[in-house]
Amino acid sequence: MSRDLRRMLGLLLAAGVALATLPWLASDFLLSLALTCLMYVGLAVSWSMFSGATNYLSLATSAFFGIGAYVTAWGFETLPYAVVVPLGGLVAAAFAALVGAAVLHLRGAYFAVLTFGLGELVRHAITYGEKTYAKTVGRVIADAPETTTVYFTVLLVAFLAVAVCAAVRASRFGLALAGVGADEERAQTLGVNTRRTKILGFTLAAFFAGALGAAMAVRWTYIEPASVFNPFIGFQTVLIAMIGGAQTLLGPVVSAVVFSLFSELLRLQFPYAYLMLLGLLLIVLVLYLPGGIGSLFKGRWARA
Amino acid sequence: MGLWFELAASGLITGGIYALVALGLNLQYGLMRIMNISHGEFLMLGAYLTWLAHTVFGINPVVFLPVVAIVLFAVGLIVYRLCFRRIARTSPSVEAIEARSLLIGFGLMYLVQNAAYLIWGADMRGYSFLSDPVEIAGARFAGNSLLAFGFAVAASFAMLALLRWTMLGKAVRAMMQSPTGAQLVGIDTRVLHPMVFGAGLALAGVAGALLSMVYEITPGMGEPYTVTALIVITLGGLGSAAGCLAGGLLLGLVEAFGMHFTSPSLKMLLSYGVFIGVLLARPKGLFAR
Amino acid sequence: MNPKSGIKVLAAALFAAVLAPALAQDAPVRIGYAIARTGPWAAGAQVTQEPNYIMWAEQVNAAGGLSVKGKKRKVELVGFDDRSEAETVVRTYEKLMGSDKVDLILPPWGTGANFAVMPVVQKFGYPMISPTATGRKLLQMKNPYFFAILQQPDQMMNALAEFLKARNTKTAAMVHVDELFGLEQASALEAAFKEKGIQLVEKKSYPMGVKDLKPVLNDIKSKNPDAFVALSYPPDTFLITAQAREIGFNPKAFYASVGTAFPVYRDKFSAGTVEGVMGLGTLNPKSSPAAKAYFAAHKARHNKEPDRWASAHSWAALQVMEQAVAKVGLERKALRDAIASGEFDTVIGKVRFKNGENVATPGVVSQWQSGEFEVVWPPDRATAPAFFPKPNWK
Repeated sequence: MSRDLRRMLGLLLAAGVALATLPWLASDFLLSLALTCLMYVGLAVSWSMFSGATNYLSLATSAFFGIGAYVTAWGFETLPYAVVVPLGGLVAAAFAALVGAAVLHLRGAYFAVLTFGLGELVRHAITYGEKTYAKTVGRVIADAPETTTVYFTVLLVAFLAVAVCAAVRASRFGLALAGVGADEERAQTLGVNTRRTKILGFTLAAFFAGALGAAMAVRWTYIEPASVFNPFIGFQTVLIAMIGGAQTLLGPVVSAVVFSLFSELLRLQFPYAYLMLLGLLLIVLVLYLPGGIGSLFKGRWARA
Repeated sequence: MGLWFELAASGLITGGIYALVALGLNLQYGLMRIMNISHGEFLMLGAYLTWLAHTVFGINPVVFLPVVAIVLFAVGLIVYRLCFRRIARTSPSVEAIEARSLLIGFGLMYLVQNAAYLIWGADMRGYSFLSDPVEIAGARFAGNSLLAFGFAVAASFAMLALLRWTMLGKAVRAMMQSPTGAQLVGIDTRVLHPMVFGAGLALAGVAGALLSMVYEITPGMGEPYTVTALIVITLGGLGSAAGCLAGGLLLGLVEAFGMHFTSPSLKMLLSYGVFIGVLLARPKGLFAR
Repeated sequence: MNPKSGIKVLAAALFAAVLAPALAQDAPVRIGYAIARTGPWAAGAQVTQEPNYIMWAEQVNAAGGLSVKGKKRKVELVGFDDRSEAETVVRTYEKLMGSDKVDLILPPWGTGANFAVMPVVQKFGYPMISPTATGRKLLQMKNPYFFAILQQPDQMMNALAEFLKARNTKTAAMVHVDELFGLEQASALEAAFKEKGIQLVEKKSYPMGVKDLKPVLNDIKSKNPDAFVALSYPPDTFLITAQAREIGFNPKAFYASVGTAFPVYRDKFSAGTVEGVMGLGTLNPKSSPAAKAYFAAHKARHNKEPDRWASAHSWAALQVMEQAVAKVGLERKALRDAIASGEFDTVIGKVRFKNGENVATPGVVSQWQSGEFEVVWPPDRATAPAFFPKPNWK
């Protein structure tokens, strides 16, 4: 383990511990605000780990998230929350491995739109299956865990996502992913098994999105395909990661927090026009800071 | 025979509407690699302008179509100047243009959609125009959807012809294949880019105007149409005018026949299934170049 | 202005802002809610729900304020956009009840959002009377603070089946949307038809977001049922109406669900076209003088008509809240008990809750006739005799 990585993980751990005290300090509202931030930290960082490095723009995040949520919907009555969350991640990862093998030869916009289509396909498949076999489309979650429990869980998953991504970036596997992004054919000639690298990266990213979906789902009492496969979750993830600078680690983290807090602040302060303000800011940001928030961090942090 | 004809006709007309929705985005993405996620929002603008003109001023929506096209073309020039010109000039690679234009598109989407919410409110709107059924070979169709279908087909063929046989088309295709090369042989992308972008918005606006005759409209209507457009142009092959039409029609037909022979519940599964299937077999769409 | 006096003014303003509410004799009653102003839920929320909140607050304040156990206090609405997202709904209500500690809350729009706030509402103990939440599953949660004022699926579908039975209908076909709403209504309708001996000759469902249902309608047309029932959401309600007319499918009874009660439904197709179409409704201006006054006030304030179904339930929910607060004040447990046990006079008639369900408002069938959504069933609420069979599409 390199010194940079160790320092990074140490810092992360300190941040995690600090954040873990929040339930005793903050109100319910601040806690759920922190929850939203952490959810997007986890989603954006894991998305960047694969899509940022390889330049394969995936819109499948909402599919993974929704699959995770549905694992909770189906399993929550019989399994404990602590099992459901990793299970949600595993199911999403299995799905990603399966489809990754089939679709990762597509490139550019074709890959992006196809991954979006996959999300919709899963959503409609679940709707159809639930309707036909369970005679309903939504599931009610009774006796949901306390907000504090959900918060700790999401904190843990987000923490793991950042830690794993940091480790991946420092590893041979991370270099291979970046190699795919820089020049796939050259990476292949240099002996990287690009196909396996891509599938593995895609799967790993899916695990975190799925686990986050499974963890968050208990918050909404009623789970239905339209709300948990909301394509907006996927779009927002891409947006956050790209504003942050998807090639960096810290960029998406900072961006997720800033974006979530900022849009909430605007929403509460300007209840009618806040999305227009958000849109304007976004445009200005892209025009004048094209490298993303990550490009503001120089030196070691840019690489870390 | 009657049944097959009716199913095919119904599918083709819906497919025509899908193609119609995709025309403008196909132009922008296919020729300039601008991934304009706010495409549906400009379609919505076209729809609202037409609705306003018809319900407030009593203007015939068909007569109003050219006005919508001109207004949105002008909006397109302004939007391009303010948002996309800088990106097209400063981005180091085509991938960077795609990625950055995607983000700008998000910003525009928020901006335009919410401006519409503020101006017109969230209520559904609609008016009745050309909704009387027309009988063709024993089957009945609403006049307005026939009009939308007709426009989609005509515009697709016009674009095909334009790109293939005119000087302008050659310039545009050259620009698509190699922006720098195009510049070297004297094609002025500084003029061509805003024009193409404006034309894309004009097409979106006209599509919106036609759709407002058929369906009800809301400020949030754009998003699903953007998704439809993305699916159709990817299915057909990005930038291919023939592919866009073929992709739309294929989806329409799959839905109509699927709905009849299986179950309407399976409709979405079928269309996404076909879409994914086609792309797996032909990773660059039906009309890959 | 020199800088010093500027600071003084600022300090005074700050002082006023911080202390004024505490010093005032009667601080306003703060009423919080989150509702969709943007996103897919907004079209429903902004027709049916929020306009009523705004109008109610204005009317109450114009009349001197809300009577809190006889003492008049102004009301202040604290409303936020929920972006049509469940997570934002939950977070906003946590803020309103947990951090802002508002005096009362009003519900968000739609069944999904109401589900999402159930646990927080129970945790903080704020009574919530929901005009746009339907479904047995909601009531089965047995949340003591939740009250559903809208008719539940079985009431509405029973009314429809009774209406059809009274007109000797033998066969019917049904389509429904694959959502909780459509599925619950569909199973309620099947049960009601079975009981009344009406034969269901075709039953099909479709997913949200369809742009064409002509093949389905053609199939159903060929079976020639007496009645056609679409358990649909607004976009499909519009689509089914347009396409049924297109292919000339004109059964004796044509019923579509959410959206038929919206004025835009009539305006999109013209009053002549929708003549005879039936749907979910509760009342219209002719139902009572109170209803007439409500429609007139809504038109005057918002420059648009309310819908003929859930809008009035939104208004009635506010009336129930107002009457309960007048009686027992703002202590929330007492307020809940007052709502749960009382009977209230509202624009939709008497309202009384049993296990959180409004049991005083019957299921109603309404029908468009010359530009008005007339109540045609049950007979004691009817504002006009029904057109049966339905006249031909114009």
